[in-house]
Order: sequence, then C-alpha cells, then structure tokens
Amino acid sequence: MSHEIFMPALSSTMTEGKIVEWLKNPGDKVERGESVLVVESDKADMDVESFQDGYLAAVLMPAGSTAPVGETIGLIVENEDEIASVQDQNKGNQPEVSTSDQLELVSNKTEEKPVVQTENINKEAEVVLKSEKPVPSFKTDQINAATSNVSSRIIASPRAKKLASQMGVDLAKVHGSGPHGRIQADDILKANGQPVSIPWIGEGGSPASIPGANLGVESKPETSGNSFGNPGETVQFNTLQKAVNKNMESSLDVPCFRVGYSINTDKLDNFYKQVKQNGVTMTALLVKAVAKTLKKHPQVNSSFSENGISYPENINVAVAVAMEDGGLITPVLKEPCNTDLFELSREWKDLVQRSRSKQLEPDEYSMGTFTLSNLGMFGVDRFDAILPPGTGAILAIASSKPTVVANSDGSISVKKIMQVNLTADHRVIYGADGASFLKDLASLIEDEPETLVS
Amino acid sequence: MVNRTAIIKQPDNISFFNDVYKLQKEYQEALIVDNSNPDFIWIGEHQLCYTLGRGSNYDNLLFSLNDNNYDVFKIDRGGEVTCHMPGQLVTYLVLDLNNFNKDLNWYLRKIEEIIIKILGTFNIDCHSREGFTGVWIGNKKIASIGIGCKRWITINGFSINIDCELENFNKIVPCGIENCLMANMIDYNKNLNIQEVKRIVKKIIQEEFNFDFVSK
Repeated sequence: MSHEIFMPALSSTMTEGKIVEWLKNPGDKVERGESVLVVESDKADMDVESFQDGYLAAVLMPAGSTAPVGETIGLIVENEDEIASVQDQNKGNQPEVSTSDQLELVSNKTEEKPVVQTENINKEAEVVLKSEKPVPSFKTDQINAATSNVSSRIIASPRAKKLASQMGVDLAKVHGSGPHGRIQADDILKANGQPVSIPWIGEGGSPASIPGANLGVESKPETSGNSFGNPGETVQFNTLQKAVNKNMESSLDVPCFRVGYSINTDKLDNFYKQVKQNGVTMTALLVKAVAKTLKKHPQVNSSFSENGISYPENINVAVAVAMEDGGLITPVLKEPCNTDLFELSREWKDLVQRSRSKQLEPDEYSMGTFTLSNLGMFGVDRFDAILPPGTGAILAIASSKPTVVANSDGSISVKKIMQVNLTADHRVIYGADGASFLKDLASLIEDEPETLVS
Repeated sequence: MVNRTAIIKQPDNISFFNDVYKLQKEYQEALIVDNSNPDFIWIGEHQLCYTLGRGSNYDNLLFSLNDNNYDVFKIDRGGEVTCHMPGQLVTYLVLDLNNFNKDLNWYLRKIEEIIIKILGTFNIDCHSREGFTGVWIGNKKIASIGIGCKRWITINGFSINIDCELENFNKIVPCGIENCLMANMIDYNKNLNIQEVKRIVKKIIQEEFNFDFVSK
C-alpha cells in the first residue's frame, strides 16, 4: 500500500512551494515523524514528515522544483518489497521539470551530498496516484494535536481564525460551539452580529456541519420563511420559475427510469478533510468523481436526438443550485477531467457567487451534458431528480450518514453511507449502462478518492 | 492572545554559533515531543561566521569553502547566505506557532513588523519591501530574517546590524541579492548601544507575542 506525500501549505496565501531538499533517497527507510524533505516559501523552510513507518518509494518532484500546494510529491510504501512495483508504476512518466532544471540541480549539488541521483530523476514521474488509502497530512495531525490540548488556549478552526482577523473579532471573547469548545466560523459570524448562513446548495455528501466551508453560497431568506408568498395569495411565477416549469414538463415526454446505489464515503470524507483547507469543496470532489466515471461511460453522457443517440464532444457537469427568490439554475463545470481539483473548486465558488448575483453567461448554465443534484446538506437519505431536457441523465445525491453495515465476511460495522440515485432517459441509456456507471463511481469514491486531485 | 511562558537567554559575552544552534534544536525538539514545554528566545551576538540555509546557492559564497579562515554553517532555515559577527544583534525564536498562527507568511511579516518597531524606538525610519523579506532603510538592508520550521515549531530568527564591520558582507552575496548594500543602526542614531537595543528587542518581543519571560 502506498501513501502520498503532499506539498504542504506553509501559509494561507501560499499557492506553490519549492522543494529544497529530499532528506531521504528513494528506497530509504523512514519512520513516522521523521523528516523526509524540506519545503521552502520565501525565507522560511519547513520539514515535511512521514506519517507512517515505511520506505520512501518514489520522489515525484525533484529537489529544486516547484509544486502547487496539495500536489503529490512523493510516495511512501509500508513494505520494502512494494518499492519496486511503485517505482515501476512511475517509470516512463517524465516529471514536469525541464532538462535545464535537472542539470542545474545536479550542478548545484556538487559541493554537498547529491541528494537525488540522476537515475532517480529519470524515474520521477508526474503524479501517479495508486495509493489505496489517503495519508493523514501533517496539518491534520497538527490540528488534532492542537485541539486535544489544554483548555487555557484558544482553539479555533483555521477558517474561524481567518474570519476573526478579517472582521476584527477578538477570539478570546468568542464562545466556541465546536468539540471541546473549539471556535467555529459560525461562532465568529454570530459574535460579529451576522446571521449564520445556512448552506442552500450542495456542499456535501455530509450534513451542513461545516458551516465555514459553505460561506458565500446561497442562503435561505430569513424573513419570507419557506414560501414566496403569504397565505391566501397566488404569486406569479418569475421568469426563472417559468423556465424551470417548462423544462420539468418536457421531462414528461421522456421515458425515464431510476437506479440507485449506496456508496461508502469514509475515505472520501477523510480525503476531503485533508484538501478542504486548500479550498476544495465537496461539490468539486463529486463533480470530479462523476466526470472521471463518465469518461469511462460515454453512454451515460449521451442524449436523445431525432437523428439518434447524440454523444457530446465534451463532458460538462451541471450542478443544480436553488435560487433565493425561487427557481433554480444549473451552473456548468466544463471539462472537469481537464481541470485539477483546486482549480475546479475555485471555478465552482466563482460560478456560485455569480449565479447568486445573476451574472452568469448563458453558456455557463446551459451547456451541461450531465447534471448533479445534491441535497445532502439537508440530511435527506434519498430522493430522485427530474431529467433536464437535452441531457440523458441526472444524479441525485443524498446525505452521507453513519449506517450499520453487514460486511461480506459476516461482521457488522458502522460506515458513512451516501445514497445516490440516477435518473436516465431509457431511449439512450439502459439499466445496465446506468448500473455499471454507478458501480464504477462507487469504487472510485470508496477506494481511491485521492485520485480526484488531478 | 494567550500568555505563554518563554525561556529567555541573553548572554553578554559573544557566543559560538554552533552552541546556540544546538540549544535552539534542543528546545525545538522538546516542543515537538511535548507542546507544554516553553518557547525559547535567545538574544545575543556571535563571533564572525557565515551561515547558509538548506536551499542556499553556494555561488553566493565568494570565498572557497576550503578557506579555513571562515566558519561556515549550513542550518535549518530558508533563505540564502548571511553573515554574523560582533556588533550585530541576533535573535532566535523557538516558537510553537500552533499557539499563534500556523502560517509562515504571517510569521515572517510579524517579524518584520517587530524589527520595524524596534528601530522605531530609536527613531530610525525603516520599512519592509515586498518580495525582499527583511527590513530596509532606503535601499540598504538593516536586518535579515531566516527561519526554519518543523511541526509549526520555529527555529532561527533575525539579525539586526547595530555597529558591526559591514565589510564582512563583501565576502558573500547577502541573501542572494546582487549589489545588496548593508547598513548599521549606529549610522542613523549615534546615541544607541547594543545593550539598549537588546533591552528593546526583549520588550517588543514580549509585547508582540504576549510572553511571560523566564530567564535562564
């Protein structure tokens, strides 16, 4: 089993870091807590440690190179005999360093121990993610260490600290509502007299317990309650509502079927915890997973046309967003397979912000080839979605909930389970297509969520 | 901000670089093992020596490493080569950033702010420069910063030229900046002395990080 070493974020503003030195060579034994490499940003450098006992199997980015925060830069394996296979997997893929960089690197090292041998440089690869289990990044470790500490200290989430400094809220005066009195982003908002924003659009397979991560997304209007009019009134549909009505009615002419799947999200949730601090959103993760699976299942990306089955040139994933004043809009993340997770998350945040202020261009909400609808943050256990016109399928994502599960070996355990439900046009997508799509989506989310990075 | 206990050491005599470096490492290691251990501050002077960060370019060293006239140390910090000597006040901070802000950019900017306050106490007008970590008087560098970090526990810190032989910087490309001019505080305020600066450094660090100092 291999574990990844990620480029850490040394500061909130850092987007990339320079690898100063690998303190270990591929093949070297590493102990938990032992420094493996040094990363530099400005005049500060930081030791990056291993999180388990094992062996450094591969150096994916050589000393002297620069990598974006969150990028996998090395691989650690648990057993010595796994080194060769991991190195083989990474062989042939050239690293993203130019030849001149490599030469410079070698010449730089003449006066000291050559940390990375030329042979290894040739073996180094672009990110090849084969690991089965996400590595708890050292930052998570640090957070745990900090939170489990004595109560005399102020313990606050990074998001809360940031908000506090932006809003000028004194952390010492804030009552923390999180575990062990940890101050959450919500507490800061409350302290600053701001209403806590309830996430209204999909930010998760998890219930809305991470309010900080959901800032800037749609919030429920507080005054009007859960309706657009007063009792006894009939309120005219607005333009957006009319458009939605038309779209929904057209689905009545489509012979749809539904197929569902229960997905274990334990690993996905772990991975999300690690990348969340780099601005990754759950929506981006789910979109990425769906897009990658669609790539293997072009049939599920297809749609009905008068001339036959129409296969779009691209995979564009639309995500349903409810609007405060009624109606919904489906901003589109174009070609998620070609965008890394961090960029995708930024794009999504931008789309949500602009859809809220109604600044989207038509092609930004009408080019979807597949749609996601996520009501997970409301804690729903399942629902089914109506197929938007011009597309072949839509996936309804419910909440991920701790569930008692009977395992194949007869044992019983509690796992986080998320139900997803695919609605598809049977003229172009058949039951078997939908089912095998869901099976692959589930195994991607369950077994290798860390491959969603790129 | 919470009150933290920090051990402070401010020897009056000139200290050998490697001894202090080892001492810093010990305090850093202690904090890694048990975060209830105290932070550590050291304020003092070194004999002439040159230090390099782990990523430093040896080309910035303008003499041969085989030249035994100079002490050269490669240490756990970021940045390029610098020079220490008597008349220059060096401050090391072994801080657990878990108690402050786990953000090295914040920390570097904080140190710049501290240095600016220190010099301000002596009516010396100075500033930071974007992209050139350190503190400057006009185009001359008065203070250099280099820090290392392991599990958010820092090591090393900053040096301020008070009244030192600036010629020693001619044997290197300080901080890797070509034609970098250095300055001494004494040239901007004739009345100060290093003991007084030391007192102010201690005072401002105490205020800025809200430390309870325990001398050792």
